[in-house]
Amino acid sequence: MSVTVNVENKLFQNRYKVDAGRPHIQIRQPDVCSNDCKDQACTFVCPAGCYKAEGNRTVTLITDGCLECGSCRVICTEHSNVAWEYPRGGHGILFKFG
Amino acid sequence: MTQEKFDVIVVGAGPSGNAAAYTAAKAGLSVLQIERGEYPGSKNVQGAILYSDALERIIPDFREDAPLERHIIEQRMWMLDDTSFVGTHYRSEDYNKPPYNRYTIIRAQFDKWFSSKVREAGALVVCETTVEELLLDGQRVIGVRCDRLGGDVFADVVILADGVNSTLARKAGFHGEIAAGNVALAVKEILFLPEEVIQQRFNLKEEEGVVIELLGTVTDGMVGTGFLYTNKDSLTIGVGCMLSDFKANPNRTSPYTLLERLKSHPSIAPLIDGGEMKEYCAHLIPEGGFNAIPRIYGDGWMIVGDSGGFVNAAHREGSNLAMTTGRLAAETVITAKAAGLEMNAKTLKGYKDRLDESFVMKDLHKYRRMPEVLHKNPQFFTQYPELVSRAARTLFTVNGVDKRTKEREIAASFRQTRSLTGLIKDAFNVWRAVR
Repeated sequence: MSVTVNVENKLFQNRYKVDAGRPHIQIRQPDVCSNDCKDQACTFVCPAGCYKAEGNRTVTLITDGCLECGSCRVICTEHSNVAWEYPRGGHGILFKFG
Repeated sequence: MTQEKFDVIVVGAGPSGNAAAYTAAKAGLSVLQIERGEYPGSKNVQGAILYSDALERIIPDFREDAPLERHIIEQRMWMLDDTSFVGTHYRSEDYNKPPYNRYTIIRAQFDKWFSSKVREAGALVVCETTVEELLLDGQRVIGVRCDRLGGDVFADVVILADGVNSTLARKAGFHGEIAAGNVALAVKEILFLPEEVIQQRFNLKEEEGVVIELLGTVTDGMVGTGFLYTNKDSLTIGVGCMLSDFKANPNRTSPYTLLERLKSHPSIAPLIDGGEMKEYCAHLIPEGGFNAIPRIYGDGWMIVGDSGGFVNAAHREGSNLAMTTGRLAAETVITAKAAGLEMNAKTLKGYKDRLDESFVMKDLHKYRRMPEVLHKNPQFFTQYPELVSRAARTLFTVNGVDKRTKEREIAASFRQTRSLTGLIKDAFNVWRAVR
């Protein structure tokens, strides 16, 4: 069964208060993603599609659509390359229904 | 606020935190509850089913004003392959007699209501404030450091109700990182439809609800389940699988792709047709069970709810364990205060003792082997639903083949897929995991 999904369309329905310029999650060492991580599982496991595999094997992270689940940190066991904090109080995803 | 000291600080305003804060405040203790969301509920995600019993023990008359969606009168369990489902339905008029046993709820609304009760009970509830770390004096927790509020606040005891990521206890070194094999990643959407349409499609009267649990190809070979719940004028549809399985999935299937496939399944699509999607959520569920529960108390601290891994995945119960752990943690503090005891590990062991005596640890202990059995036997989520589906199709398709031959075909399909010893082993494993 082939279904193509644009996760941005889903995230568009959500309410966020983005903490501009202060991402609450960061890739510690981008080189590690490019050179040492074969699977780059974050690029398909993240339920908000925050991690993108670029053509040149780099991984980019944009946290604006983050649902604050924690999956990216938990799966990055071999490299512990995800510095993960909750957003500052009042920022981030604001679930209307939850 | 600096140097102000409370009897209890509760971090988080989900079911466990609210149960703890309410119980402690009601008993006259000074309680500060800190929530990082804009309002209680704005960071919280659940299916969501509310089990009445755990809440009744905290707020007996909750039905008078709690925002409840529908009481559940029917439970469906469907096993799906790509084109069909085989299901069991249990519907009983007994579930239509108040007091109702369980309800669908919308967490953002429910948590806000619960929090209003916490405030009425006398707790100070502060929102839009993230606790960055615990304040330690040696091994003893003496307070918390906030990103607002003028920084540090102190208490005799800190109750950690900070959710599945359990950030604070991890930072303090009370336990390590969560294992991907001990959590499920679930995604869901809420789809709005007129009340009458929901009632027609699901054969319901006003206020009656149905829950459907889904097993099979919808999880793309991973250990997990899907669900479809009826709210008053919306449906919640979701799917969750072990995070370790997502990571290792050779198809590299994204959670939202899984959800979209589920929504387009020919048995599901007509039920949700025309629903207006208004929110998409994701959440981790701690499903490691008994063996994954970390240390839950120490000098000046206790862990409650998802933060301590209190979920009975086999029965899809979590919020009731959360509320019960929150209540029991608060009761431990109340008893200790009355006896003039210090809030050290020796005193707070009373929390663990209470939990051991309650259904929480008894149930988790009973199902302690379940996570491992399911991990090692993904066929329960892959081969079996397909076999059952195929068996039903063989049996019910009238095509001139005699019934005995059909039965032999079905038996052979099970033996071919799982082998006779495999079938016996599977039966034994399930029996052993649930006995």
